[in-house]
Amino acid sequence: MSGQGQVSFRNIVKMHGEFAALKGVNFDIKPGEFFALLGPSGSGKSTTLRILAGLDAPTAGRVLIDDKDVTSTDARDRDIAMVFQSYALYPHMTVAENIAFPLEMAKLPKAEITPAVKDAARKVKIDHLLDRKPGQLSGGQQQRCALARAIVRKARLFLLDEPLSNLDAKLRLETRAELKKLQRSLGVTAVYVTHDQEEAMTLADRMAVFMSGEIQQVGTPGEVFARPNSIDIAGFIGNPPMNLVPARYVDGDVIIAGHRLKTTATIPGERDVVVGLRPGALRMAEGGLGARVDLIEDLGDTAVLDLDCAGTMIRMRVADGNIPGEGDTISITARPQDIHLFDPATRMRL
Amino acid sequence: MATTAVTSAGIASEAPRSDFGRVLAQRERRFAAALLAPAFLALLATTTFPLLFLVYTSAFRMDLAMPFTNGFVGFENYQVLLSDERFWTSLLVSLVYTGSTVALQVIIGLALALLVMDMKRGQGWFRVIAILPVVLSPAVVGMIWRTFMLAPEFGIVDFLAINAGLGSKNWLGDPTLAMVSVIAIHTWQWTPFAFMVLLASLASLPEDIYEAARLDRASAWQRFRRITLPLLRPAIVMVVIMRTMVALTAFAAIFTVTAGGPGTATEILNLYAYRKSFTELSIGYGSALAAALLVVTIIISGILFAMRRAK
Amino acid sequence: MTAKRLRIIALLAISTVFLLAWAFPIVWSVLNSLKTDSDVLAYPPKLVFTPTWEAYRDVLFGSGSILPNLLSSVIISVGTTVVTMLMAVPAAYALARLRFRGKKFAGFYVLATQMLPPVGIIIPYFLVLRNIGWIDTYQGIILIYLSFSLPFAIWLLVSYFEDIPFEMEEAAYLDGASRLKTLWRIIIPQVRGGIAVTIVFVFLNAWNEFLFAVVLSGNTVRPVTVAMFNFVSVEQTLWAKLAAVSVLAMLPVVVLGVVAQKHIVKGLTVGAVKGGGRR
Repeated sequence: MSGQGQVSFRNIVKMHGEFAALKGVNFDIKPGEFFALLGPSGSGKSTTLRILAGLDAPTAGRVLIDDKDVTSTDARDRDIAMVFQSYALYPHMTVAENIAFPLEMAKLPKAEITPAVKDAARKVKIDHLLDRKPGQLSGGQQQRCALARAIVRKARLFLLDEPLSNLDAKLRLETRAELKKLQRSLGVTAVYVTHDQEEAMTLADRMAVFMSGEIQQVGTPGEVFARPNSIDIAGFIGNPPMNLVPARYVDGDVIIAGHRLKTTATIPGERDVVVGLRPGALRMAEGGLGARVDLIEDLGDTAVLDLDCAGTMIRMRVADGNIPGEGDTISITARPQDIHLFDPATRMRL
Repeated sequence: MATTAVTSAGIASEAPRSDFGRVLAQRERRFAAALLAPAFLALLATTTFPLLFLVYTSAFRMDLAMPFTNGFVGFENYQVLLSDERFWTSLLVSLVYTGSTVALQVIIGLALALLVMDMKRGQGWFRVIAILPVVLSPAVVGMIWRTFMLAPEFGIVDFLAINAGLGSKNWLGDPTLAMVSVIAIHTWQWTPFAFMVLLASLASLPEDIYEAARLDRASAWQRFRRITLPLLRPAIVMVVIMRTMVALTAFAAIFTVTAGGPGTATEILNLYAYRKSFTELSIGYGSALAAALLVVTIIISGILFAMRRAK
Repeated sequence: MTAKRLRIIALLAISTVFLLAWAFPIVWSVLNSLKTDSDVLAYPPKLVFTPTWEAYRDVLFGSGSILPNLLSSVIISVGTTVVTMLMAVPAAYALARLRFRGKKFAGFYVLATQMLPPVGIIIPYFLVLRNIGWIDTYQGIILIYLSFSLPFAIWLLVSYFEDIPFEMEEAAYLDGASRLKTLWRIIIPQVRGGIAVTIVFVFLNAWNEFLFAVVLSGNTVRPVTVAMFNFVSVEQTLWAKLAAVSVLAMLPVVVLGVVAQKHIVKGLTVGAVKGGGRR
């Protein structure tokens, strides 16, 4: 039960026959960090977690935990705890027996197990449910039971595979906050798999964004949000995600639907680009890009406008009290530092 | 770039290969082998080995009553078999017995399942009563029918026949009636099986299909022909396969009732092979008969499974 | 309105006829077992009579008691069930869960062995067991009974094992349990229901078996299905006693059948998908 929980992936490749599920993945996780593996389904994030856990073996590459090569180490000997998406609670055991199971397997004496179980249950606030069977618990309580079973071992690494996806929306928000607090108070390294960018943004200290078997960006949520590395990431992060509009780049300016916008880019020349514009970074101003309001989605404090700019659909977020009417024509613009440029061929950031 | 295909060779050259996957797979194989070994050794010993041994013995004359004539005879037993009229008769009896019992079970079982399905009360009675014949030993069933049901006069069936004005019949002594009797007994015992399986399948059919059909103004008969029957087809085919296998291998139910008699009127192929081997003690020829039974079983199950795939 | 009432009456009549037809032979055996021989043979058949336990007293405690045969049946059935389950549970788990080469073939092999007609293999059994002196022994009969109980039990159990999510095993593995411990502590407790159903089926089939018992039994090991024949001979039939023995032979399976009724129907349908049992 020692070690700090530092993780390194070195060129991890996973082949399923001819199909490459992971195409050479590299990342490092610092001790005590809350690290998210974010990506759409099938992007390789779950495979990465399973390889880290030792449930799957990589085809090539090395996995290091606390500077020790564990690529060929058995899952049981890696000192890793995991919360599964389905929770995988043992239905024939009570909550207490479920939480005690890993300690029992570690051959801890009974006298130590009981207080440890109580302690773990108290941390996730299910100490009043210890005698119930999983079938008698609500979804949220089951999820906590799975958490307790994972934290009771005080393992050096704490893996979570979409642990909130089976909860309803309200409970998910509450649990999200508690999860973060729990991880902080335990000081344990957590690796968290999710396809929900909002979850990753709010929970993670840093995250790795997966796209079709590769990591396209590693960074803090702020970094990834502010400077997405690729078109795919730009279209994946943010709600609503970034507008991606094909445009022409001419000496530091971009031309969208006949309108010229200033950017921070300084490269001379002329080329095709994809312009990224965050819905929240757009503002109404005279002399900007002309747009007709097609649809208004009122979210209460803000509203999202679907705009038609000479055939191109652009979404824009506006504060309440500032909402035009449907069918109105408005003029929009963006500051140069809010304009992201991507190469349409490589799909990477320029 | 993000979605370009990557060959395994292309990637592998960049990173050290891991053989942990092979280790895991090998460990899993060994674990599987250890778990499977006892059962498969037992199956080899009790099914595959006897089968080979049977083929071997069928090439010998092996007469326990006249051991001095024993010896290797090659295919002689099979040549005898082909011109053995009793063999062909028993094969015919087997086919009639199997065909009629299976048809009766499925038709009666399906009709009853459809009937009971619509019952609001009393389904429970059927579920409890129908289980009774199914769990009984065919030997005990045969014995009960032979005595308390079919015995002349005080046997209930004969009693009913007399009261119906048919007069007392020799149910097990008359060749035709004996055949009818053994078919009836088998049908009596196993129709509940078909009934229960088909009732369970019926109950699992989605309700809304029927409601939709009703809205489309399909009559009861149309609903049965166009919806129920096609949806039930897999279950019916499976019941036919299972019941055919059992009817083909039936033994106790006839052995205890008529022992194949009168004469060879109810002597199915199973009984003939048994009688030849253990009553007439001619084991070599009995083995050839048993092998013939095996071939018949394989052919019929082949046809049935082809039928199952056909849809 | 009248058409509807007519339908209900017809439905009731048909139902009653079938329920009676299925229940009657069994009920009638029970009634006859409580009669004297002359009451059994009475014409017209007697529904009202003075019940007596005489037949049971005679077959259980008289000369030629069938108690040893009942004991034989119990030993054979329990023995077959225990040995079958010990082998079938691990095998079914491996077939349902583990990845290995030849798995498809192994599954097909189990299915195929289930189709073997018993008469087809009784001759080799007889010859081999006679050679090694296992005729009329428990080990001989129980070994042979594996030929039909094992394939059936394996197939039935596989369907229950397949219902357990893979994550359950992975969780246990990460919790530090070995494969064997995972199987024993996590998986098997979750298929308790399926194991119980399988036990019921294997017991029933072993208790009811007749052909192998007739050929391979003797004076020491003689299950009740075979011993029943003591009461019917060419010279005379001991009517009431035969009824009593039949009832005793039926009793355990009928009780099991009624108690486990729901599970048996489920087992039958699972079997219907997989290939099913054999008598």
